[in-house]
Amino acid sequence: MSESKLGKYKMTVQNVVTSANLFNRVDLVKAASSLDNIEYEPEQFPGMVIRLDEPKTATLVFGSGKLVCTGAKSPEESRRAIFKIIEILKDYGTPMEKEPDIVVQNIVASGDLEMKLNLDDIILTLPNCEYEPEQFPGLIYRLKEPKVVLLLFGSGKVVCTGAKSEEDVIKAIERVKKSLIEEGLA
Amino acid sequence: MEKTETKTVHACPECGSHKLIRDYSRAEVTCDECGLVISEDIIDTGPEWRAFDHEQGEKRGRVGAPMTYTIHDKGLSTMIDWKNKDIHGRDISAGRRAQIYRMRKWHKRIKVADAKDRNLAFALTELDRLSSHLHLPRNIREGAAMVYRKAVDKRLIRGRSIESVTSACIYIACREYKVPRTLDEIVEHSRVDKKEIGRSYRFITRELEIKLYPTSPVDYIPRFATELGLSGKVQRKAQDILEGAIKVGLTSGRGPTGVCAAAIYLAAIMEGERRTQKAVSEVAKVTEVTVRNRYKEIIEKLGIDVKI
Repeated sequence: MSESKLGKYKMTVQNVVTSANLFNRVDLVKAASSLDNIEYEPEQFPGMVIRLDEPKTATLVFGSGKLVCTGAKSPEESRRAIFKIIEILKDYGTPMEKEPDIVVQNIVASGDLEMKLNLDDIILTLPNCEYEPEQFPGLIYRLKEPKVVLLLFGSGKVVCTGAKSEEDVIKAIERVKKSLIEEGLA
Repeated sequence: MEKTETKTVHACPECGSHKLIRDYSRAEVTCDECGLVISEDIIDTGPEWRAFDHEQGEKRGRVGAPMTYTIHDKGLSTMIDWKNKDIHGRDISAGRRAQIYRMRKWHKRIKVADAKDRNLAFALTELDRLSSHLHLPRNIREGAAMVYRKAVDKRLIRGRSIESVTSACIYIACREYKVPRTLDEIVEHSRVDKKEIGRSYRFITRELEIKLYPTSPVDYIPRFATELGLSGKVQRKAQDILEGAIKVGLTSGRGPTGVCAAAIYLAAIMEGERRTQKAVSEVAKVTEVTVRNRYKEIIEKLGIDVKI
C-alpha cells in the first residue's frame, strides 16, 4: 500500500499494535490446557499470550473475547495473525457469528531524515518539544495533527510512535521535514 | 540622602524653582536648581534608628523576621512564646501556665488552616530537608518553594507524591538559577526514584509553562573544577573549549555533564594541572569511557593540539 511512500522517507514500520473484538467469550482455561506454545498465568495476568512464528507476533487473548496483537511489521500482517488466532481458538468458545472488529491502535516506525540535527537549536525554535540531554539524548516532538510523538536524534534518525495508520507516519515526517527546513534547522 | 518636596517653603526665594531638596544628613533644605541653602539645622522628625548596644538595637526594630516562601504561612503568623513570662518579665502563675500551655498547643494546630496548608507545611519541610542535604543557598530554596506553591495553587499535586514534586521543584529551581544539580544528585537524597522525579518535573514544567532551556555544560564548570581543585585559568580554558564545542554542535544529543567533564579534562592538561580521567569522571558522575569519547570528539572537531 503505502510501502513505497514510507520507503521514500527511509521509514520502516517496526511494530503494529491492533486490538480485536471477537464478540464471543473464550474459555481460557480450556484453551490453555490443550494448546501448547502459550503462556497463561491467571494469578499474574488475566490474559493468555499466544506467540506465533509466522507472522512473528504475540497476541493477548482475554476471556471476554478481546484480543491485542503486538509485534507485527505491518497492519496487514497483524490482521493475518488475528485470523490465525481465531482459527486456533475456534474450538474454545461459541462459534463465530459476527465479523471480528479489528482496529489498529498504534504504529511505531523508525527511519532517517538524512540530515544532521542540532537539537540545541531546534528546542529554541520549534514549539511543543522537550529536550533533556541529561535524561535522554533525543528530542521529543509532539504533533497535534496527526497525533503522534516523534523522537528526533542528533544523527538525523527519527522514531515515530502513536500513529494510527501508515499515512499518519508519512504525514508526520513530511510535516517535521517541512518545519525543520522552514526554520533553517536542517 | 533623602529627596522630598518641602511643604513649608514652596519655592526658592532666589530662582523660584519648586525643586527643593531636604537633606537630613546635612540638616539643610537646598534648591536643586540654583543651589541656594534655604534652611539650616532642620529637625529630623523620622524615627530614631541609632542603637548603642544590642538591647537598644532590638528595641529599635519595628519589624519581625522577613517574609519567606519556605514556610507554609510565609512566616507571617503570630507565635506564642515558649517562655512562661508575662510582658513585664514576671513568672506566670501556675494556674495560668496550664492555660497558656493549652493555648499554645491549639494555636499551633490552628496555624495549619486547611488541606492546602497542611500539604504546604509538609512539603516545605521536605523541601528544606532536601535542600540542606544538597547544600543549596537561600535564594534557590525560595525559588523552589515558589514553584511548589504555584503547583499547589493549580492543583497539580493531586495524584503525585509530595516527595516527587518537591524534588522536581528543587531541580527546576536549580536550573532556573543556573547552578544545575543533576537528577542523580537529587535522587541520592530523595526518597523517590529518578523516573518519578523526571515525570513530575516534565509535568510541572508543562503545566506551569516554565520554559527551561537544556542545561549548558558551561554551568557545571565552576562546581566540577572546584571539586577537582583546579585554578581559575583552567576554568576559563574549559569555558573556551566548551563555547567552541557548542558552536560546532558537539553538545547536541550529548549529556552536558559528560561534555563538561571532557572539556575540564582537556583544559587541565593544557594548563599543566593534569587530573586523571578517573578523577574527572567521578566528580562529574559519568563513566571514564564517556570522558574519553567526548574529549576525542572535541579534539577532532576543534582541532586542538594536545599531548595526552
